[in-house]
Amino acid sequence: MSTHTYKKFEDIDSGTLPDKMTVYQECLQAFNASPIHAKRCRLLLSRLLRLLYAGETFPKTEATNLFFSTSKLFHHNDSSLRQLVYLAIKELCSLSDDILMATASIMKDIQGGDILYKPNAVRTLARVLDGSTIHAAERAMKNCVVDKNPNVSSAALVSSYHLLPVAKDVVRRWTNETQEAISSNKVFPQTQYNMHEHYGANKLLTATYTYQYHALGLLYHLRDHDRMALMKMIQQFNTQQPLKSSLATVQLIRYVGKLIEEDSNLTQTLWPFFPGWLKHKSDMVELEAARTILSLPKFLPEQQMQAINTLQTLLSVPRTVTRFAAVRILNKIAMKSPEKIMVCNLELESLINDANRSVSTYAITTLLKTGNSENVDRLVKTISGFMDDISDEFKIIVIDAIKTLSLKFPDKHKSMLNFLNDVLRDEGGFNFKNAIIEAIFDIIKFIPQSRELALEMLCEFIEDCEYTELAVRVLHLLGEEGPKTSSPTLYIRHIYNRVVLENSIVRSSAVIALSKFALIGNDSITKSIKILLERCLQDVDDEVRDRAALSLKLLSTKDIEQAKDFIAPTFKYSLPVLEQQLALYVNNPDKEHFVHPFDIKAIPTMTEEEAKAAEFKEKTTIYDEPTAQAHESSPEEEKVPDSTKLALLQQQYAQELGAIPEIAAYGRLLHSSAVVELTEKETEFVVTAVKHIFENHVVIQYNVQNTLTEIQLEDVSIVAQPDNEDYSEEFLMPLDVLKAGSSGSIYVSFTRPEGIVPAVFGNTLSYTTKDVDPSTGEPAEGEEGFPDEYQVEDLSIVPGDYVVPAFTGNFTHAWDELQNESVAVFNLGDAATMDLQDVVLKLVKTMSMMPAESTDVVTSGSSHTLKLYGKSIGGDKIAAVVRLASSSKGMMMKSQVRSSDPELSELVANYVE
Amino acid sequence: MPFDVSLYSIQAVIVLDNAGKRLFAKYYHPPHGQATDELATNEKKQFSFESSLFSKTYKQNSDIILFENKVVVYREFADVIIYMVGDLNQNETLMYNVLQGLVGALEIILRNQIDKKSIQENYDMTILAIDETVDDGIVLETDPSVIASRVSKPPTEDVANIKIDLSEKGLLNAFNFARKNISDRLQQGF
Repeated sequence: MSTHTYKKFEDIDSGTLPDKMTVYQECLQAFNASPIHAKRCRLLLSRLLRLLYAGETFPKTEATNLFFSTSKLFHHNDSSLRQLVYLAIKELCSLSDDILMATASIMKDIQGGDILYKPNAVRTLARVLDGSTIHAAERAMKNCVVDKNPNVSSAALVSSYHLLPVAKDVVRRWTNETQEAISSNKVFPQTQYNMHEHYGANKLLTATYTYQYHALGLLYHLRDHDRMALMKMIQQFNTQQPLKSSLATVQLIRYVGKLIEEDSNLTQTLWPFFPGWLKHKSDMVELEAARTILSLPKFLPEQQMQAINTLQTLLSVPRTVTRFAAVRILNKIAMKSPEKIMVCNLELESLINDANRSVSTYAITTLLKTGNSENVDRLVKTISGFMDDISDEFKIIVIDAIKTLSLKFPDKHKSMLNFLNDVLRDEGGFNFKNAIIEAIFDIIKFIPQSRELALEMLCEFIEDCEYTELAVRVLHLLGEEGPKTSSPTLYIRHIYNRVVLENSIVRSSAVIALSKFALIGNDSITKSIKILLERCLQDVDDEVRDRAALSLKLLSTKDIEQAKDFIAPTFKYSLPVLEQQLALYVNNPDKEHFVHPFDIKAIPTMTEEEAKAAEFKEKTTIYDEPTAQAHESSPEEEKVPDSTKLALLQQQYAQELGAIPEIAAYGRLLHSSAVVELTEKETEFVVTAVKHIFENHVVIQYNVQNTLTEIQLEDVSIVAQPDNEDYSEEFLMPLDVLKAGSSGSIYVSFTRPEGIVPAVFGNTLSYTTKDVDPSTGEPAEGEEGFPDEYQVEDLSIVPGDYVVPAFTGNFTHAWDELQNESVAVFNLGDAATMDLQDVVLKLVKTMSMMPAESTDVVTSGSSHTLKLYGKSIGGDKIAAVVRLASSSKGMMMKSQVRSSDPELSELVANYVE
Repeated sequence: MPFDVSLYSIQAVIVLDNAGKRLFAKYYHPPHGQATDELATNEKKQFSFESSLFSKTYKQNSDIILFENKVVVYREFADVIIYMVGDLNQNETLMYNVLQGLVGALEIILRNQIDKKSIQENYDMTILAIDETVDDGIVLETDPSVIASRVSKPPTEDVANIKIDLSEKGLLNAFNFARKNISDRLQQGF
C-alpha cells in the first residue's frame, strides 16, 4: 500500500494529497528507526507539512505522537534535516501536548548549534515556551539578541515580540540589549551565500538591517507607556543615527502618527521629520509618510500639499501597487476635501486607462469627486472620450458617480443630461442602461428644472428601446411627471405611440400612464384621453383591456378626487414594513388567523416628500471605498440602505411598545429618537436610551447591558429626575433580573406637556448585585446580595426630538414661504479645537433636519452656511439657515429659524448643545 | 485612520494552483495571543475566501486587489498564484515588497521555474522559504537572496550507515571481525 500512495504522490498531475494515515505511519516508523535516514526523513517531514498546510489536522494524541517522534530526529546531525525538523515542530506545537519536552534539545542548538539552523531554533523556542518557563531561556535570548549574525538577532527579537503578551516583564529585562541591537552594525558572514549556486541577477547584500525593524518594534512595546522616552527614541533615530532599514522607517512613522493622534499638539513639533521621509528612496516610506500627514487633522495646508505632491509623483511610477496605493489615498482625501487634490488631475486623467481596473476606477471616482462647478463640464467631456474603451461593469460605476455629481451641482444638469443621453444611445447591456435610466430618474426627481429636458430624452429613448422593463419604468415616470409639465400633450403622443407599437406589457403600462393625464383638469385633454382609452378597449390582450376599462370607469365618476386616489395616490406604503408584515401574515401557522383579512391600515404610509427625503439622503451619501464594493459583489453582503433600516427600527420600536398594554393606550408612536449613549462603552454596565414621543406622553427606553460575567443584577430600575415640573412620571417598568452578560430594557413613562418643552433628566441606575457561581450561571441560594447605585449621564429632551427630516427640492422657495423667524447667535468656543465639518454634522444630527442643497459638506476653511429643512411631529414645516464662522475669538454660530409655528422656531433657534 | 503599530503585518500567505486548489496556505495569528479575525481560525471560511479570491484574480494580472476588507497582493505565474493578505489599512507597498522578496527567493531556489511541478517537487524548500520570509505574521526579511541563502537543500544521498573503510586499520578490523565470527562458529561445533 505504501508504494502505491508513494507513487501517487509523485505523480504531480493528479495533485492529490498524500494519504493522511499512511504519512502518519511512515513518519512514526522512519523517525523512530535507527539509524536515521536523513534524506528519507526530510521527504517525509515535507509530506507531513504538506498535509498540515493543506488544512488537514491530526487529533491530539496522534499529533503528540508525531511531535515526539519528530523530536527523535534531533539525534541526527544533518543540518538540512534539522532545519525542517524545526519547522515541523513549530507547526505541531499548536496541536500537541507536552511540547515543553523539546526545550532541552532546542536550547542545546541555540547554545552551540550550526549557524544554519540556529535562527530556526530560536524562533521555535518562542512557540515551546510560555510565561512560566521563559526564565530558563533568559540568558540564551539575551545572547542571541546581541549576536553578530543578523539572522540570529532578528530571530531572537521576533521571538521576544511573540512572547510579549505572556511575559512582558521578562522580556523587559533585555531592553538594553534591544537598544544595542538597533544601533549596532551587523553584517552577514561571508559564508551566507554558499547554499545555492545560482543567485541570478540579485545583488548579494552584506547587510539588510531588517533587525532594526524588529528591534524597533520590540523597543516600542517595551516603552509604550513612557512618552518622553518615545520622543527621545524618535529624535535619536532621525538625527543621530538614521535608520538604515526602510521597514524600520515605516514603523517609526507609524509611531509618530500614533503620538500625534493621541496628542495633536505635537503635530508641529514632529513635522520637521516628515519632509525627509516624503523624499525617501523607498516608495513605501513615502507612502506611509503621506498617508500619515493626510489622515491627521492638524497639519497645515502647505504641509498637506507637500504630501499630495509626493503622491502625485508616485502616480506615474511603473509599479502598479504603488500607483494603487497613491490613488487610494487621494481618493480618500477627495471625499473630504476635493479641492486639495485638483493639482493631480492631469496624472489622474492619465490613469483612467490604467491596465489595473482598481486603479482606473479609483482614478475616475476621484476625478469625479474633485469636480466643482467650474470644471465639471470639462471632466464630463474627458470621460465621454474613454467611455467606449471600458467594460459595462465599469461604466456603471462611472454613471453612478456622474449621478452623485449632478445631484450635488444642480446647475450643471444640462451637460450631465447630455452626457447621459449620449451614453444611452451607445451599445450596452441591460444593467448599464438601467443605471443610466436610474440616474436620469433621480435627476428628474431632485432637480425640478431639469424635468422637461430629461423627459424629452426619455421619450426618445422609448421610441427605440429593446428592454421591456425599462420601457415600463419610463412610461410610469412619464405618467407621474408628464402632467406637471407645461405642455402635457407632447407626452400623450409619445405614450400613445407605445400603445400602437409595443408588446402587451408595455401597452398596459402605457394605458395607466395615459389615464393620469386625464386628471389634470383640462377638459379637452380629458376628452381626448377618453377617446384614446376607448380605443384600447379593443386590444387583443385582456390585461390592457382591463386596465383601460378600469381607468375609464374611474374617470367617468363624478367625484374626481376619488379617482385621483386610485389613479395617482399621493402617499406610498413603507415597502420594507409591508413586506415584513405580509411575510408574518403568510407564515402564521394558525389557520384561524386567516379568517381576518390582512390589515393594510397597519402599514405606515409615507407622503411623497418623506420618501424623497430618505431617498435623497441615501443617494448623495458619499460611499467609502468604491472599488472595494465593486469587487465584492458577493450576494450575502447586500447592503440594506439606511432609510430602510431606520423604518424597520421604528417599526420594531412600535411593536415592542405596543406589546406593553399601558403604553399601547397612549396611541400612535409619533417619533423615536436615535440611540443616546449614557455611559462609556467600556463600563461594567452599558446604558443607552431611546426617547419615544407619543401624543401626550414621553416614554424613555433605557437599554441596560450587564457586561460582567460573574455578577447578576436584580431589581434593576432607573430613577429619572426631570428638571422641569411639566413632566411627571406615570409609571416605571423595572427589570426583575439581569443575568450576567445579558441585556434588557427598562421603560419609564412621563406625561408630556402641550407643545415642546425641553428638559434634562438626571438618571441613576439602582440595582441589587449578586455573585454568580460560574459553573451553574446561577447565584448561590440564600444569597441576599447588596443594593447599589450607579450614576449615569443626563438625558435631555431637545427640540430635535420633535422634528423629523424632510426633503425640499427648492429651499429658497420653502424659506420664503415661512414666517415667524427667530434668530440666535452663539459662540461655540475655541475654534482651534473644532473642525467645521464635525460641527456641521453634529448640528444636522441634533437638530434632526435634512440638509438642503448639499450644504452639509463644508467647502471652505473658515466659514460655512448650513441650510436645513424638516417637519415637526405636529406637521409644522420648519427651515433653518445656520451660519458658522471661525475666527480668533472662537467659533461663531448664527442660526435663523423659520417655521409655521412661532414657538417651534424660537425653541429650535435657541437650542444649542 | 487608526495607527496600527503592531509588527504583525501579514495575515496570510496562500499559494494556489491554476484550478484554485490549495498548494500552501497559512493564516497567521500571534502564537501567544488571540486571533482577532475569524478567518485565521475558521477553516471553512478560509476555503471559501480562497475560492472567491481565486475567481476574482485568476488571469487578471493586476498585482493588487481589495478583497473582503483585506489588501491582497499577488503574483501570477504559469500555473500558480502566490498571494499575500494583509489588513485593509496595511501599507500596500510594504506588502508587495515582502511578496517580491518571497518570489525572488523562490526563483533562486527553483532555478527560475516557479510552477506547480517544481513547487510540489521541492515542497520542503518552498515552505522553508516562506518560513524565512514571514514568521507568524511578522516580516522576517524582504531581500530575495538573503531569504534564499537561509533555505537548506535536502541531503543528497542517504549514505549507507555501514561505511566501508578501506584504510589499513579498517581492513584489520574487518579481518578481526571475520576471525571472531568464524572461531565462534567453530567452537559451537560446525
